Amino acid sequence: MGKAHRFLDEIALGDLAFEATGDSVSELFASAALALIEVMADPLTVGTNWTQNYRRSESEIEDLFFEWLNAIVYLKDAEGVVFHDVHAAVRLDSENNLWHLDAALIGDRVDGTRQELRTDIKAVTKHLFAVRPSDDGWYARVVLDV
Amino acid sequence: MQVNRLAEAVWEIPKTEKAGMLVPARIYGTEKILRAMDAGVFEQVTNVACLPGIQRYALCMPDGHWGYGFPIGGVAALDVRNGVISPGGVGYDINCGMRLIRTDLTLSDVQPRLDALLTELFRTVPAGVGAKGFVKLSRRTFQDVMRKGAKWGVEQGYGWESDLIHTEEQGCLARADPDCVSEHACQRGMGQLGTLGSGNHYLEIQVVTNDRIFDRHVAGQFGIHGHDQIVVMVHCGSRGLGHQVCTDYVRIFEKAMKRYDITVKDQQLACAPYQSPEGQRYYSAMNCAANTAFANRQVIAHQIREAFSRVFGESPERLGMRQVYDVAHNIAKVERYDEQDLLVHRKGATRAFGPGHHDVPEPFRAVGQPVICGGSMETGSYLLVGTPQANTESFGSTMHGAGRTMSRAQAKRTVRGTTLQQDMAQRGIMVKAVSMSGLAEEAGIAYKNISDVVESVNAAGITRRVAELLPIGNIKG
Repeated sequence: MGKAHRFLDEIALGDLAFEATGDSVSELFASAALALIEVMADPLTVGTNWTQNYRRSESEIEDLFFEWLNAIVYLKDAEGVVFHDVHAAVRLDSENNLWHLDAALIGDRVDGTRQELRTDIKAVTKHLFAVRPSDDGWYARVVLDV
Repeated sequence: MQVNRLAEAVWEIPKTEKAGMLVPARIYGTEKILRAMDAGVFEQVTNVACLPGIQRYALCMPDGHWGYGFPIGGVAALDVRNGVISPGGVGYDINCGMRLIRTDLTLSDVQPRLDALLTELFRTVPAGVGAKGFVKLSRRTFQDVMRKGAKWGVEQGYGWESDLIHTEEQGCLARADPDCVSEHACQRGMGQLGTLGSGNHYLEIQVVTNDRIFDRHVAGQFGIHGHDQIVVMVHCGSRGLGHQVCTDYVRIFEKAMKRYDITVKDQQLACAPYQSPEGQRYYSAMNCAANTAFANRQVIAHQIREAFSRVFGESPERLGMRQVYDVAHNIAKVERYDEQDLLVHRKGATRAFGPGHHDVPEPFRAVGQPVICGGSMETGSYLLVGTPQANTESFGSTMHGAGRTMSRAQAKRTVRGTTLQQDMAQRGIMVKAVSMSGLAEEAGIAYKNISDVVESVNAAGITRRVAELLPIGNIKG
């Protein structure tokens, strides 16, 4: 299946919905984040002068995934940045039953003269929100408010 | 799903159609509109009908379409004593709304300078991803914005005192407590005052021709006389602050629902009893965001007046740039119906109080509240007026825009932004946009025909047509 995403036509007409997949849960976190950053700006036109690490732990994988995407939306406004790439490593600590995310976001300050800016994202919604293992890896469905 | 026709433009889904429905669901629309509605509307409006404390019926306006939680176009009135409050019934863009400014300018005055005017507006009203406003705020002054709304703007010299009386709630909702707003929300919103955002938000220069005035008396009361008169419309909301308030409280309410033993049909309908500590804190935070949206549109109105003044070499006063009205379409408010206080959620629906209502500003009280409905950038918008029937039938609510019929992804596959921009220019509509893909997403083909939508609320009697406003220039994020 591999790391991939596709935008969905048939739901939430005014907003944007996508499905993301990955062979591993880390790949899923990366592919969903890439879908999100691609909505806001063409990553190929965004530089790499800004980086930020992001670490978080949650007992539920759904919560960790939701907070991860929310963090990207938050940083877009609070730091005034758009994104070029992401790295995400997720592991389950079975001793205390916690999911840990160790991620990095790479991008640059918003600059419409150099970047192809696209659509602002207001929020990651909980409508039809799904994160689950699939037959051949991991699957997520996300509806964004734009 | 069984849908019964109650009147020419009113349909009802009985409460027997879905387990858990406490009241029926009603959809406004002509048969043509109803048949064009996507399946999500029927599913979502019946989910809303299951919310604890809902009164009479869950409503969806004719511009309704599949949203998240509530349908866009959804209206629900909840008993303040035992009902819930739901951020999903307000939306992420708290107090997303419309502002309309009239002018004494005509099409022949503006057309020769339209390019210069749009260039100036595009420069002074930032739009798109990551746009920052010119207003620099400290944390303390941002709290003043949250408390005072449009009044804060006027106090700072951004606008006129008369703007306030021409704004819903005079642009300042009571019970706005910044302590209920998270640090994250403040960080997202603090630099964004005076910015449009993107998506379906815009600033539009429009013309009112004589043949598109449907009620000359009411139009006159609103300062609209036709004769190719130029007006300016703004559609935007509370920006990152409001988006984060909604995100924060959906999370809080998901946990609270377990404590209050509430279940909902869609996670995005997360809610809490209005009277609970969580419900009250969301209400206060929502009012902070709503006031910030009023302030945002106030600052933008100031920038519009200044831009017109620079281009035409006259003061905004001499150009007759008075505000017609500013009205929210994503909000929850306590209103009184039949001697009962109800928390009316409007998500993509506009308040539409009729003549004589005490909350209608004095200058319009004899005719009713102005209702501003934004259409697609290609087709036009409408100015309507509230009716007594809205107060008795639809919790003083009506439509807010055209309503989408096509997803953003499909719109982008169907039309290219640059092609659309050229086509519109040939039809006399000049567009400046931050994002060409964002422009394509907002193409007219992605929306219902707003005239059909207006016909529905006109036929249902919950608002009446006053004037159609045709676009000549548009700025998009």
